[in-house]
Amino acid sequence: MTAVSEHQAGALPPLPLPGEQKCPFGPPPEYEDLRAGQPVIRVSCPTGVDAWLVSRYADVRQVLGDPELFSNRAGVAAHILLGFGGGTDVPVSEGEFPRMDGAEHLRFRRHMAPEVSNIKRINQLRPLVQGIVDRQLDALAATTQPVDLYADFARPVTTAVIAELLDVPEADQPLFKRAAESLSAGGSSATDVAAALQPLFEYLYMTVVTRRAAPGEDVISRMIVRSDQTDQPFTDMELVTMAAALLIAGYDTTASLISHGVLALLEHPQELERLREDPSLAGTATEELVRYLGVGGGLLREVTQDTEIAGQPVKAGDYVVVAVQSANRDGALYADGDRLDVGRTSGAHLGFGHGPHQCVGQQLARLELTTVLATLPRRIPSLRLAVPFDEIRFKVNSSVLGPVAVPVAWDEIVPALESGA
Amino acid sequence: MRVEIHADRCIGSGVCVLLAPEVFDQRDDDGVVVLLDEHPDARHHESAHDAATRCPALVIEIHDEG
Ligand code: SF4
Repeated sequence: MTAVSEHQAGALPPLPLPGEQKCPFGPPPEYEDLRAGQPVIRVSCPTGVDAWLVSRYADVRQVLGDPELFSNRAGVAAHILLGFGGGTDVPVSEGEFPRMDGAEHLRFRRHMAPEVSNIKRINQLRPLVQGIVDRQLDALAATTQPVDLYADFARPVTTAVIAELLDVPEADQPLFKRAAESLSAGGSSATDVAAALQPLFEYLYMTVVTRRAAPGEDVISRMIVRSDQTDQPFTDMELVTMAAALLIAGYDTTASLISHGVLALLEHPQELERLREDPSLAGTATEELVRYLGVGGGLLREVTQDTEIAGQPVKAGDYVVVAVQSANRDGALYADGDRLDVGRTSGAHLGFGHGPHQCVGQQLARLELTTVLATLPRRIPSLRLAVPFDEIRFKVNSSVLGPVAVPVAWDEIVPALESGA
Repeated sequence: MRVEIHADRCIGSGVCVLLAPEVFDQRDDDGVVVLLDEHPDARHHESAHDAATRCPALVIEIHDEG
């Protein structure tokens, strides 16, 4: 491998990004050659950032697992989204934990963990999520086909779950929609994002103030109450940013994962059939879909001290983009990584990331996707695309991957099981 | 097998509890890992290894001859 000097920066190849029909479910085809011959190369990214692109499983895992050498300060998506973090020059704002490192970051994670990643708590939420999924399928049975699996099923399900957890009434949801869409769209400038987030932050600020005075049983109230018992209580603004993070992630990221995952299964009918016959495969199917589809544009880190990645020297201040999707298809992880296999037993895939910044909402996302995968194939055995696959459009220039819409049809929706009602 | 944890790094992800609930638990107030069984039974060795590999914060260390 040759080290590329900064003088050639203008001629750098672009960061390979997921294209529409070329790779609706997987990494851009270039990655296979990169993994084989150029596991660490210089690329130029859409926001103008130049970075080392890392494509092999072992190297991606090393970078994500070593936060002392590879910092989050720049913002994980600052290489693809203008309005996101905006590089190391932009100061970290109050409560902006995704850009924090070390103990500072840990303080936020451990405050959210009891609400969203304590497995006992997740298990208690199971009947709630099952009920929401079943009610949404009942509602579909009463509508005219075709329906959009994203807008008419996945998003109502994920929104209902997060609305229930945070106790935010349905009426406030256009606020979240605007904020989530602006945050994940590549074209949004920092000013656009700030403008879209402002009303959401004001709303959540009022919510924090009201619930501080009269706490309920919801996640925001519980975070306020627990905060007062910690050594370093959280400010109202810090509580607002945690609530906003949960809302925005819960709103669109999980919904896109559900519609993208179901679409992948519709394109792999044998795998869908296996799930229909044996809903107990829903757990492994969930892991497999997260591996198969996860994190399209890669994650950004900044080097803190001169070091090496796979023998390539990198300097303090350099940016690194880890290609998670490519890593998850690496033959070093699975011999047949390009195959979708709903029965694959767990492996250490990186679809939720790795290291201390691993997806904060992963357990909630798992619960929702697993419930959908155990329920949907059983209740709609005849589920099918209502348009040819070629007509499905995918989000481009966005940090959230997935189809724009998934029009589907069916012959019959089977009633819910008693226990799930 | 002996299981050792470095809980100071734990982010409370719940990954270990999901994979090996016989070996790991989490504290209620901050989600941090609690080691339930330092010398798990042979039938939990595979899931304990799995938890060690998949723990995002590299908290879990397995000593096979412990
Ligand atoms: S998997 Fe690791 S980070 Fe997550 S709760 Fe267990 S020990 Fe902590």
